[in-house]
Amino acid sequence: MKILMKIVLVICLMWIVMPVSGQSQARFPKPEFDTGYVQPDPSTPEPRALAMDYFDVFVLILVLSLATYFAIRRRSRGGILLLSVFTLIYFGFFRNGCICSIGAIQNVALTLFDPNYSISLVALLFFIIPLLFTLFFGRTFCAGACPLGAIQDLLIFKPISIPVWLRKGLGLIPFLYLGLAVLFAATGTDFIICRWDPYVGIFRMDARFIMIVLGVAMLLIGLFVARPYCRFLCPYGVLLNWTSRFSKYHMAITPSSCINCKLCETSCPFDAIDIPQEQAPASARQSDLKKFLVYLLIIPLLMGAGAFIGYKSHVFLSKAHSDVYLAELLIKHPEVKNDIDNLDVQAFLSAGETLDTLVKKAGVIRAKFKTGSWILGAFMGLVIGVSLLAQTTHRKNDDYRPDKGNCYSCGRCMDYCPVEK
Amino acid sequence: MDTEQKIKLVNRLVAGTAIFATMVAIILLLNYYQTSKLDPVESGVIGALVERLDQEPNNEALKLEIRQLDLLARKAYFTSAWQVRTGGFILLFAGILLGILLKILYDLKASIKEPDPEELDNQAARKNSTRWIWAIGGLVFIASLISAYITQDHLANYDDFKLAQLQAVESETASNEIEVVELGVGNEEPGIGNEDAGVGNEEPGIGSEEPGVGNRESGIGSEERDQGPGTTDHGPDPRALGPGSSQYPFFRGFMSNGVSFHKNIPVEWDGASGSNIIWKVAIPRHGYNSPIYWDNKLFLAGGDAEAREVFCYDRNTGEMLWQKLVTDVEGSPAKAPKVTSDTGLSAPTMATDGKKVFAIFGTGDIIAFDMNGNRVWARNLGVPDNHYGHSSSLICWDDKVIVLYDTNNGGKIMAVNVNDGKTMWQHKRNNRISWSSPVLAEIDDKMVILTTTDPLIAAHDLKTGEELWQVECLMGEVGASAAYGSGLVFGANEYARLVAIKPGAEPEIVWENDEYLPEVATPVESDGLLFIGTSYGVFACYNALTGEKFWEYEANQGFYASPIIADGKVYAIDMDGLMHIFALDKELKVIGVPKLGEKAVATPAFADGRIYIRGNNNLYCIGQK
Repeated sequence: MKILMKIVLVICLMWIVMPVSGQSQARFPKPEFDTGYVQPDPSTPEPRALAMDYFDVFVLILVLSLATYFAIRRRSRGGILLLSVFTLIYFGFFRNGCICSIGAIQNVALTLFDPNYSISLVALLFFIIPLLFTLFFGRTFCAGACPLGAIQDLLIFKPISIPVWLRKGLGLIPFLYLGLAVLFAATGTDFIICRWDPYVGIFRMDARFIMIVLGVAMLLIGLFVARPYCRFLCPYGVLLNWTSRFSKYHMAITPSSCINCKLCETSCPFDAIDIPQEQAPASARQSDLKKFLVYLLIIPLLMGAGAFIGYKSHVFLSKAHSDVYLAELLIKHPEVKNDIDNLDVQAFLSAGETLDTLVKKAGVIRAKFKTGSWILGAFMGLVIGVSLLAQTTHRKNDDYRPDKGNCYSCGRCMDYCPVEK
Repeated sequence: MDTEQKIKLVNRLVAGTAIFATMVAIILLLNYYQTSKLDPVESGVIGALVERLDQEPNNEALKLEIRQLDLLARKAYFTSAWQVRTGGFILLFAGILLGILLKILYDLKASIKEPDPEELDNQAARKNSTRWIWAIGGLVFIASLISAYITQDHLANYDDFKLAQLQAVESETASNEIEVVELGVGNEEPGIGNEDAGVGNEEPGIGSEEPGVGNRESGIGSEERDQGPGTTDHGPDPRALGPGSSQYPFFRGFMSNGVSFHKNIPVEWDGASGSNIIWKVAIPRHGYNSPIYWDNKLFLAGGDAEAREVFCYDRNTGEMLWQKLVTDVEGSPAKAPKVTSDTGLSAPTMATDGKKVFAIFGTGDIIAFDMNGNRVWARNLGVPDNHYGHSSSLICWDDKVIVLYDTNNGGKIMAVNVNDGKTMWQHKRNNRISWSSPVLAEIDDKMVILTTTDPLIAAHDLKTGEELWQVECLMGEVGASAAYGSGLVFGANEYARLVAIKPGAEPEIVWENDEYLPEVATPVESDGLLFIGTSYGVFACYNALTGEKFWEYEANQGFYASPIIADGKVYAIDMDGLMHIFALDKELKVIGVPKLGEKAVATPAFADGRIYIRGNNNLYCIGQK
C-alpha cells in the first residue's frame, strides 16, 4: 500500500509540472526577422453560444434528477458513483469548472448590490436549481452534480472520523468564507471563491503554481479526511445545509424501519449519521435550558461585538480592492511612479487618470466596505451564537438516520442496511 | 470468479497501471527538461548567424539558412511542447484509472467496521464542541481586531500628502529662483562679458555673406535683443535674425520648429551615382544626432562605449576642421552606461550660439567648445538611468543651454550657463522618462520651452524654468517632441494620441486624433498644415486648426527623422534614406523621392541651396552641382 501511495504522490507531482510547460508555450515570441508571413489580426474569441449555456442548465437538471432518483428511489450507490464520474468529466474537465453553482453566489451578490451588473440567466439558474432540489430532496447536488464534490468523493481512500468538537469548530469557516465572498463580490472587489478554488487548476490543467499546490494538497488531505472542501470551506454548502434541513423527501438509510443493527454506524465517511440518542436526564435538561437562555441573551452581544470588529476591519478588508490598494500605494510611496516594473502603477499612469480621481473612487469603495464589514461582523456573531445555542439542545432519536444538513446523499450508508423494502 | 480471484486481478491491473503512469511521468519530466533547455530563441547558432547577417545584410543565402534553422528549432520546440501536453492528458487518465482500480480494490478488501463499543457521551461532546466554537470564533474575532489595529489608513492621510507635495513644489520653486538670482549676479562679472564679446568679434563678416544677417547687425536687431528676456551679451538672439536667418543652430533648425527659411532647396539627387552630391565624407564615429551649423562650420557628434567625440566640418567643402574627444569630465562614469544600439550614446543633437558649441552624451557628460575646438567647460549631470539611452537634444538661447533630462529616476529641465556650465535654474518634473527634446516657442510675447513626456505636454518659462502650464494627454514612451504653429501647441506619441492645445494659463485641448501617431519623428506645422511621420511609413497631413485629415501617404519604410518644411515643400527622409518631398499643400503632391543610398534616421539640416544629411555612416552635402 505504501508503494501505491508513492505512485499517487508521483502523479500529483506530475500535475504540478504540466501547467508550467503550457505557460511557457503561450508566451513564445514571434520571429525577429521578416518572413513574409502576415500576422493575423488579434481578435476577441467568439463567446460560447448561448444555446450551449442553456444546454449546461439542461445537463445540470438532468444530473440532479438522476442523482435524486438514484439516492431516493433506486437507492443505488453505484448509480451515484457513475454520475459523479460523468459530472467530473463534463462540469469539471470539459467545462473547466465553470460555470458552477458555488461561484454563482458571487454573481447573485454582485447583481444585488451593483445596479450596473446584470446577472446572466444561466448563472442565476445554476444558483437556484440546486437549492430548489435540496429543499425537497436533500443535497443530491453534492452527491452527483457538483464537480468539486465529485473529484473529492472519488478520491476518498481511507477516511478517518473527525471528532465532533473539531467538526463544530471548523464548521464556522464556511460561514466566514461565504460572508467574505459576498462582501468582496458586492463591492466589486474580487470573486474570491473562483480565485481560490483549489480544484479549478486541475480541471483546466493550468493555474498559478500556488493554486496547483493547494489543489493537490486538498486532494491528498481528501484521501483521509473525506471531502475537506465540502465540509470545512464550501460557502454554497452553508446554503445547501440550511435548505436541506427542510427537505421532506430526503434519502433514508433504511428503506423501511431501522432495526438498530449498527451496521451503518461507521459507513459514512463524512460523519453525517445521527445515531440513536436516549432522552436526556431531567437535571441535564434543566441545565441545557439555562444555557439556552443565556446564549439567547448573548447572541445580540456577540452580534454587537462582531459588528464593532467588522467595522474596525473595513480599512484592512478594503485594501483587497485594486483601486484602494493603488491609491494607498501612490500616497504612501509616491516614488513608485518611477518604477517601470510596477505594472499596476504604470497602467494607472498610462490611463491618464489623476490621483485625485483615484482617491475619490477608493473612498467610495471604502465606504461600501464600512457598511459591508459591520454587517459581516454581525453575521459572524450571529453564526457563533446560534452554533453555541445548538449545543444546548438535545433531541431524542430512536433510529440511525442521516443528518439532513450535513448529509451529501452519496448513498454509501444504504449499502450497509440489511433491511429489505 | 470469487472475491480472492477478483482481488488478484485488480491487484495486477493496479500494478500495471501504476507502472505505466510512472513511466509516462518520467518521460514527461525528461521531455519537459529537454524543452526548457532547447529554447530556439536562445539558440547560439542562430544568434551567431544573425550577427553575421548584420555585417552582410544582402546575403540572401544566409537569410534562407537562418529561416530554415529557425523553423526547424520552432518545430522541435512545439513538437516537444505538444508531447508534454498530450503526455499530461495520458498521465491524467492513467491517474484516474489508477484511482478507480484502487477504489475497487479497497472495496473488495473492505469489511464492515465494528462500531465503537463505547457509547458516545453526548453531554461531553456538546461541552467540547461549545469550547471549540468559542475558541475558533474568538480566534476569528481577535485576528480581525489585530488586523484592524495594525492597518494604516493611507487614504485618510491624502490631504496631508497633497499639502506636503505642494510645499515641496513651492520649496523647489523658491530654491530655483534663488539660483537664478545668484547666477545672474555672476553674469554681471565684466570678464565674462568681455571675453564673449571678444569671441564674437573674432569672426566678423562670415554671417554678412548671408542675406538675412544684415538684419542681425542692424540697429533693429539690437533693439529687439535688448527687449528680449534674459538679454545679455552672449551672442546673437536667433529671433533677431529674422525669417532670412542663415543659421541652423540646433535640432530642427532656427527656433527648433522644423521650419527653415532657406531657398533653392534641391529636389533631385542620387547618393549612389553622386548626382547632386556636392561632397560626402565618412563620419569617424557613429551617432544618431543631426547636423547643425553656424556660418560655415557644421557640427556633429559621435559616441560609443570606447569614446565620445565632437566633429567640426567646413560645410562648403566637407573638410574636417577639428575633431575633439570628450575626456576628463569630472564625474563621468569609468564605464559607459548600457544603452540599446538604436539609440546609442550620441543621439542628442548639439547646439550652438555662434560662439560656442555644446554637446551632450548618454554618459551624462555635457561639454562646450569654442568655434575653434578649444574646450571651454565640461561637467557630468549624473549618469542617466535610461534603458534606451539619453536622446534629448540641446537648445541654446541667450546665455543658457537648455537640457531636458528625463530619466527612470525622475526628470528635470535645467538651464546651464553657456560660459561656465553652471546651473542657472533647474525644475524637477513629476513625470515618467521621455526621449523627446525641448522646443522653443514665443507665446504671448514670452519665450517658453515646450516639452512632451508621459503623461503631459508642458510649457516652461525660458528665463526661470517655472512651469507655466501643463496638459496631461500623452502616455507611453514619448519620443516625439512638441511642435508650435498657428497659435497652437501640438504633441503626439504612438499608442497615445495627437493633440492640439491652445496654450495659456488655462490651456485647453482644441482637437485630438489618434489615427496616425509618430514614435520618434516630431510633427511640424506651417501655413495651417500639420505633418506627421510615423515609424510604420505613413506620412499624414492634417488641418492644424481643426484636426481634419487632408491626406495620407504610405512609404515602404518608417520615419524616425523629423520632417522639415523648407522652400514651400515638406522634406521627410525615411529610414531607408529615401527623401519624400511633398508640396506644402492640403492636396497630396509628391514632388520627388530621391535616394541617399544609405539608411538615415537623423534629421537633415537646410541651408540656401543645400541639404546636409547624416546617413548611418556618411555625411552628405546635397545641392545643385
